[in-house]
Amino acid sequence: MLNILLKKIIRTGAGRFRYVLAMIGLTVALLLILTAIQLQSNYWQLLKGNGAKDSIANFLVINKVVTNQNAGNTNLTEEDIEDLKKQPFIQAVGVVTPSRFKVAASGGSAMPFYTDMFFESVPDQFLDISGGDWKWDDQTQYIPIVIPNQFLDMYNFGFAKSQNLPQLSHELVKSIPIRIDIQTPSGQKSFYAKVAGFSDRISSILVPQAFMAWANKNFATEPPKGASRVIIRTDDPSNPKLIEYLDSHHMTTDMEKTRFSKYRQIVGFVVQVSGFTGLAMFLFALLIFSLFIELTIASCREEIRLLVTLGASPRQLRRFLMKTFYPANIVIAFVVLVILSILQWLLSGFLAHQSMVISPFISWFTIAGAVIVLVILWWVHVRTIKKQIAGT
Amino acid sequence: MEITLENIIPIPLKENLEKRPSQVWHNKVRFGPDKKVKIKAPSGTGKTTLVHFLYGLRADYTGALHWDVSALNKLDSDKIARYRQSEISVIFQDLRLFAHLTARENIELNRVLQEKAPYYPDTVIQEMAVTLGVDHILDQACGICSYGEQQRIAIIRALVQPFSLLIMDEPFSHLDQENAQKAARLIELECNKRGAGFVLTDLDEDTFFNYNTYLNL
Repeated sequence: MLNILLKKIIRTGAGRFRYVLAMIGLTVALLLILTAIQLQSNYWQLLKGNGAKDSIANFLVINKVVTNQNAGNTNLTEEDIEDLKKQPFIQAVGVVTPSRFKVAASGGSAMPFYTDMFFESVPDQFLDISGGDWKWDDQTQYIPIVIPNQFLDMYNFGFAKSQNLPQLSHELVKSIPIRIDIQTPSGQKSFYAKVAGFSDRISSILVPQAFMAWANKNFATEPPKGASRVIIRTDDPSNPKLIEYLDSHHMTTDMEKTRFSKYRQIVGFVVQVSGFTGLAMFLFALLIFSLFIELTIASCREEIRLLVTLGASPRQLRRFLMKTFYPANIVIAFVVLVILSILQWLLSGFLAHQSMVISPFISWFTIAGAVIVLVILWWVHVRTIKKQIAGT
Repeated sequence: MEITLENIIPIPLKENLEKRPSQVWHNKVRFGPDKKVKIKAPSGTGKTTLVHFLYGLRADYTGALHWDVSALNKLDSDKIARYRQSEISVIFQDLRLFAHLTARENIELNRVLQEKAPYYPDTVIQEMAVTLGVDHILDQACGICSYGEQQRIAIIRALVQPFSLLIMDEPFSHLDQENAQKAARLIELECNKRGAGFVLTDLDEDTFFNYNTYLNL
């Protein structure tokens, strides 16, 4: 009853239109701010996630630039590798271990081919292959190998087309046993291998590190060669410091990987623009809210004075004004979160087709962002109302 | 509650009042639930100023004014509100009603302003309005009521809240003798019901109440 009477006495009609505009402004501001947070969080999820499909995680293979002067001597020294590990923009360094024996592969009767080849290995955490197939011990029947996706593409779309050979799917290639002949000091030894996966990161033929260590120990026909390539994991391949570092140390990397940095820059740009625009609009909305509260209280100054004269406590009035002005903000925050949830759900569905996995739900950071905005709004409301009531 | 005045002199009237004798200004006076005080105050002696001092609307005085044991100008606004809700009630000379609210809403406001449960149920508004003959205008905006009607609304408004001290500033100035008698009987009844005292200021002598203290301002 008291609130009904107070509503009649403290009329909020003055400047209603401006208030509605401020509300719309707040909605847009909140939408922009929270979108920025959500985009950033989606981006982190894609970047930091360790899922098998983390397609834009940033792995780079690094080697020395081959020039006429250093041809034949492009190994990275221990110091080079230690120095790489120390750089803040590099999270992990894995040495690419080359085989020190001669290898030949043939397809047997199912797929007649014969080729000389080589193996390399990298630590498992640098591979985008996971699962039970990727392990080896001396009891394992087949050596799992990983070939570059490009190999299969070259065969399917170049070689097979031109030679009238059948195209091969991933599954088919994985099912074919390949005979591996290794030249050992004590003669040729045969093994069977199966393709366990395809890598986009490393243009090499990879075997598990365990097999490589075992085979190098037992079959090596050459002395240890040192590492000619390393693989690094970095959270930001577009970092100018990284490029600068590589240049100054005469190293080079797969520049194709920087393709992703374009997307990243776009994401970063969108996040920044929407974040700053949202923040600016939010500040204006705050200003208008506090002005609107001041206006309302000023236009009812006489009425408020009489209320206080009759015995209304400033606390009662503050509580009433908070109840009048604040709930709209909660509604707005809720509506914005619902809109973002729908957008996020649609986006995750869309990206799933692009083999990018993001959560279908908005992140906790976004919700926390909304809560923080509400807390700021609450504080501004309380402060303005308190100041204005005290001033009557 | 008790109100005590010690050597109170309103600063704007200091020059005038220091010369003339007064039983209130620059004196020690106490008002409380046991007191039925009539203050006779010719024009220009600061009658309304005194009422505003007692009720805590103004503080431009020298001397000390206490509500119970606290100096009034040291009380914070929430404490003052608590006193006004449950200990001290007032009928202003200038009535001070919300013109755009109805008579009933004006009264109701003071009834439900308590942070505790209301002292009276809302049916009391109708009963008192009947007693004072203003029940027919209860749902009319106060701004269009006559002064006599507004004064009776202001009286009822002061009586629907709990109090132990009632302050009245020329409460019957717009009423005829008969209506003034009715209002005085209602006020006396309500004061007795609460064991409350009152302070009435007026220009002349009157016989509306059995005063136990007479003061000349």
